[in-house]
Amino acid sequence: MSSAALRRPALTSSFGPYLVAGAVFLFLGAFLIIPVLKVIQVAFQDPATGSLTLVNFQDFFASTLFRQSFFNSLYVASMSVVFASAVALPLAYLTTRFNFSGSVVIQTLAFVPLIMPPFIGAVAMQLLFGSNGSLNLLLRNHFGVTLPIMEGLNGVIFVQSLHYFPFILINLSASLRNIDRSMEEAAQMLGSSGLRLFRRIVFPLAMPGYIAGASLVFVKVFDDLGTPLLLNVNTMLAPQAYLRISSVGISDPMGYVISCILILFSIFAMWVSFLGMRGKDYSTTQKGGGGLAKRDLRPYEAALCYLVVLSILAIVLAPHLGLLLLSFGTIWSFSVLPDGYTLAHYETALTSAWGFIQNTLLYAGLAGLIDIILGTAIAYVVMRTGVIGRKWLDYIAMAALAVPGVVLGIGYLRVFYSVEMPGSGQPLATWWGIIVIALAVRRLPYALRSCTAALQQISPSLEEASENLGASKFATVRRIVIPLMAGGLVAGFVTSFATAAVELSATIMLVASERDAPLAYGLYLFMQSAAGRGPGAALGIIAVIIVGLATYFSHRLIDNARRSRTDVANNGGGH
Amino acid sequence: MPTQSRNHFRKLGLGIAAVALLAASQVARAADDRLVVVTSFPSDLTDVFKTAFMKEHPSITVEVVNKGTSSGVKYLIETKDNNQSDIFWASAPDAFEVLKGQGLLASYSKEVDGIPTDLNGYPINDPEGKYLGFALSGYGMMWNTRYMEAFNVPVPKEWDDLEKAEYHGHVGLSSPSRSGTTHLTIETILQGEGWEEGWNTVKAISGNAKTITERSFGVPDGVNSGSFGIGIVIDFFGFSSKASGFPVEFAYPSVTALVPANIGVVTNAPNEGPAQKFIDFLVSEKGQALLFDPKIMRLPVNQNAYKGAPEGLPNPFDGTIKTEVQFDSEASERRYNVVNSLFDVMITYRLEDLRQATAAIQAAEKALAEAGGDNAEVKGMIEEARALVNKLPVDAEQAMDADFNAIFTVERKEADTKVEGRQAEIEQQWDTMVVENYQKARELAEQAKAKL
Amino acid sequence: MNQTSTPIAAETAVAETLPDALQNRLQPIGIDIRDLSLSFGATQVLKGIDLKIEPGEFFAFLGPSGSGKSTLLRAIAGFGPTPKGTIALDGQDVVGLAPWKRNVGMVFQNYALWPHMSVARNVAYGLDERRVPKRESVARVNAALELVGMRQYADRYPSQLSGGQQQRVALARTIVVEPRVLLLDEPLSNLDANLRVQMRQDLLKLQRRLGITTIFVTHDQEEANTICDRIAVMADGVVQQIGKPDDVYDNPANSFVANFLGTANVLEGHVEKAASGPVFRSAGGLELPCGDGKAGAAKLVLRPQSIAFVDGGAADGLQGRVRSAEFLGGMIRYLVDVGGEALLVDELHARGSGRRREGEAVHVRINHEQAVLIHR
Repeated sequence: MSSAALRRPALTSSFGPYLVAGAVFLFLGAFLIIPVLKVIQVAFQDPATGSLTLVNFQDFFASTLFRQSFFNSLYVASMSVVFASAVALPLAYLTTRFNFSGSVVIQTLAFVPLIMPPFIGAVAMQLLFGSNGSLNLLLRNHFGVTLPIMEGLNGVIFVQSLHYFPFILINLSASLRNIDRSMEEAAQMLGSSGLRLFRRIVFPLAMPGYIAGASLVFVKVFDDLGTPLLLNVNTMLAPQAYLRISSVGISDPMGYVISCILILFSIFAMWVSFLGMRGKDYSTTQKGGGGLAKRDLRPYEAALCYLVVLSILAIVLAPHLGLLLLSFGTIWSFSVLPDGYTLAHYETALTSAWGFIQNTLLYAGLAGLIDIILGTAIAYVVMRTGVIGRKWLDYIAMAALAVPGVVLGIGYLRVFYSVEMPGSGQPLATWWGIIVIALAVRRLPYALRSCTAALQQISPSLEEASENLGASKFATVRRIVIPLMAGGLVAGFVTSFATAAVELSATIMLVASERDAPLAYGLYLFMQSAAGRGPGAALGIIAVIIVGLATYFSHRLIDNARRSRTDVANNGGGH
Repeated sequence: MPTQSRNHFRKLGLGIAAVALLAASQVARAADDRLVVVTSFPSDLTDVFKTAFMKEHPSITVEVVNKGTSSGVKYLIETKDNNQSDIFWASAPDAFEVLKGQGLLASYSKEVDGIPTDLNGYPINDPEGKYLGFALSGYGMMWNTRYMEAFNVPVPKEWDDLEKAEYHGHVGLSSPSRSGTTHLTIETILQGEGWEEGWNTVKAISGNAKTITERSFGVPDGVNSGSFGIGIVIDFFGFSSKASGFPVEFAYPSVTALVPANIGVVTNAPNEGPAQKFIDFLVSEKGQALLFDPKIMRLPVNQNAYKGAPEGLPNPFDGTIKTEVQFDSEASERRYNVVNSLFDVMITYRLEDLRQATAAIQAAEKALAEAGGDNAEVKGMIEEARALVNKLPVDAEQAMDADFNAIFTVERKEADTKVEGRQAEIEQQWDTMVVENYQKARELAEQAKAKL
Repeated sequence: MNQTSTPIAAETAVAETLPDALQNRLQPIGIDIRDLSLSFGATQVLKGIDLKIEPGEFFAFLGPSGSGKSTLLRAIAGFGPTPKGTIALDGQDVVGLAPWKRNVGMVFQNYALWPHMSVARNVAYGLDERRVPKRESVARVNAALELVGMRQYADRYPSQLSGGQQQRVALARTIVVEPRVLLLDEPLSNLDANLRVQMRQDLLKLQRRLGITTIFVTHDQEEANTICDRIAVMADGVVQQIGKPDDVYDNPANSFVANFLGTANVLEGHVEKAASGPVFRSAGGLELPCGDGKAGAAKLVLRPQSIAFVDGGAADGLQGRVRSAEFLGGMIRYLVDVGGEALLVDELHARGSGRRREGEAVHVRINHEQAVLIHR
């Protein structure tokens, strides 16, 4: 280090964070706030005169249908959190607490539900769990009863819990790994064990992770429109908004009013969870003590655990199993299993899909990259600097969770269609890059959570040590913070990448030509015709495999990194 | 740890490099003589025409942008200032009406040998020459044969059949506000039976519905899977599903309408020449014959094309399909939004209430029939309950009223148009009335049954 | 650590008498460890430990990090992999028994207070697990907190306490359940120097008052020596020597023990029979008479305080030269070259006495009766 490097002007350290915060804010402003405002301003216009008014909100609260929709959404979101927790808790506990062969496989498989391709997933679910699906056909033939799993709000809760529980699993597992084992041992020594120990000590300590995951599930379910629409449940807020926005020729402002309310309520929910977590930062690992002690299982215990884990995985992965059957099946109609099996669908899918796959890898990859860059920047500004109003960067980025894809898509068309691309003279909105940005904005909240969690675990003294040795803020972030965050960054990248790969609602508005279209769009094309069901399922399986492999290898990376780190700690430490 | 993370980063770096390479290759693709077609049709249909057309005109690259009807309309409206699309190609005539109203369709008219001006009074091409029909579609019922056998349900023949108690919970249909084809079906029934009677039929069928799907394709999809047994669909959904091997059948009831699926050139199309060529090809005898592809199965508008029609496909020009309704497209257009909104408020959003009321009435009727059917008091109560279900918040006259319709189609550009009431306000009034009536009807029917 | 403005020493000192709620309940028991071995994967961490601890004894495991002392303590508590051999508490083998069935109290190095519970909840935890009635539980929690001088902090949360206070709460939490054995894992290592000295006295007082069999793990020989009845010096997973602190100090079994317990000059060499009796001859050539050594290779342990400077060139002094000096407060420690060896020599420091210069020629006398001979 030269002495010149040590004599750095004081300005960089005070203006640098503002510069980063400003750049992030500009990005969010241009690609989230302005497009959304451009769309939802209709909510504040008098439909008759076009003047500014709140009368539409008055109408919203006066409407029985909307009030009922609101409570239905609230009910479904809450119950989904309950059921998602019931699925995620045992998986998180068993895989973090015991020496369980295949923990990585389980964690990966449990992530797969997040990558459920649109449309086709719902068809598979109906074929398995619908009122005339495999399960109910069997039940009816043998016992004369049926289970209304997929009917009404219950169906929405069922599908949503299975779809979004990985959010709780991922966050809770991370939290559990960060609990110092002495916390648990102290309780054991005082006579606590098993579930009681988990309920009174382990779970409360993992609470921040659980709340982070649960609030994500709540908001996501509250705002999601895909599942209710595909199950034809209309009396919920998000589908009401969508139906009113996307109907031909009707200019009902209520769709935009509902969008406003969705966004506001989601921010409110995130804020409540933030309040709940305040002062509960129990990151208790000391001296790299390596988290909960992993215990070996006795044979009968192992058998029991495998039974629990496998039965959960069986339910959770059932949609993908259905998808697999659909992709190999010839005709599957009102029968327990397809009539016959064929490889022809894969042939059809692969001949037409190569361009889609290439585009998807490119778009989702770039979007994931943008997300972890933005996520790291926001997390760093929020947690490590004193920039005024920094919390708002966090809130705004998280609000993207609540913006319906259609609203963002229309907003982009409105804002960027009149802007010409430098060079080609094409409208900016028809450039494929805008799809990437839309995906990045839509998935930013996921990456941001991971980056925040990763940064939380790095002691500021490590950065101070670097600065003390003469490294600039920037160099410190690059050489100390980012390498230490690597695990979290990879997790964030994977979540963004995987979910962006199957995203449809915003892209369908923005795809301007088929050669720029991603895989989800190709799937949508197939799913518009009776003959396309098989190839669509095959394409869905291809998507799941690509994303699943990416996830698995990232998990391996994280796990190896963590193992080598704890090994060092164990050799250095006393025990 | 440090070496580990470095490896880790090297891998990440490789990934980034790969992504960048892909990006570069993406940019490298250049554009030729192009034609951009925005459509709601599945690739099964578009691919056939795209391939055939590009064989005929090798210099033109056809780019198909599949959007779905409503997204497509929204897309064209949002992008009109810097239009990049040449052709809009979709089923529902009302989508074209909306685009026409916004001045987004350019004129194109051409006399083609073999294409008549109208079919049973319904003009095949837009009289103003803004869009033209290329294929005919009729509405009917498709059913899953395995389902019908398992539940022992008879095959329906007429719309009225679907009102019967034996079909309760077995029917699937879409909403007219979501699906242009469903809108035409509902409008056909309304015009065939009259405003009041028509709605009675629609409500009686919907009261038997298992579900109201969000997309038109949701109906054939549900029948194909066996989620429900019978679906009200446009013919080609039935034909193509059957052609794909699903155990389904399709039939036209005696009251139906044949309506054209359409194509039009977008105003200020960047590639107008290729656009004209594409439409020429589409309506030519050669192009029309492509509609018989087993994955497409639509009825050509060009009579000459029927020479090569496959077995079992009806020819609307020789009376194989009975179309008793003279479809009044002008009337349909005038009350377009009121019909959509009424359907959603009375049926889509309150399906559960409607189904329960319908089930209660059906149960009471069954009990009455078993008891001999001569209890006048019970009969009266059941009729009263049915009347409550059927009660309409809007009469035929009001539905056609231009000012009333304006509430649903406000265009804020003309600031001086004065409109009484807002859609949300009106719908709330309807909703209150409908929910209350369904509730009362259900109670009444239950009381009637208890009296037996 | 955040020391509150009030003087902690006065406020949080251990109570002088045992509160009623805790009186006469604890029955001291003995611990008997036989042939105990334990491995982490391929590395053997404990190699055949044999150890007997008497009821009511204050016992220390002393050793450097990696010696296996913490692992042994955790094995007694039931944590970590199941070892081979036996650990008998009060005559009953507990190997394989779950930690929560042993009733062994442990205070963790990092205290392991649960951050989501108040001090009172933390202390009450073990009583809840034992289904102690509410009324009795409250009384015992208060008594335990009283005992460690933390009663007034009952409603605080761990994050609001200083390190010393957290330590006392951890102690209270452990003793309130009246464990059969009290295990302390480096309890003083996270405290600052002054607090450490006070705390070890408090620990001793507490142990005497409760009469509980206690094991104290530390790497600091001063800590072990000052408060423990007996110590076991450990290295490489093996108990090197067991005994009272002064016995072990005076008669180290090997050079490791000699070095680990205080400063020592350990000279390599061998014993020869000479006319005057056995003589130890160091590798460097220094010769010293030794009482009853057998002939052969041996080591000689010489404490620095057994060597003295002889001013004025007395006849029996050995000639030497000062190499360096270290001021230790009460004394000055010199490194002196004597007869081919470099020896540490302690000299008491008196006010204003100054110190010998480097390179200064000196005479030293070795008190060879204090030397300990270690045969290989």
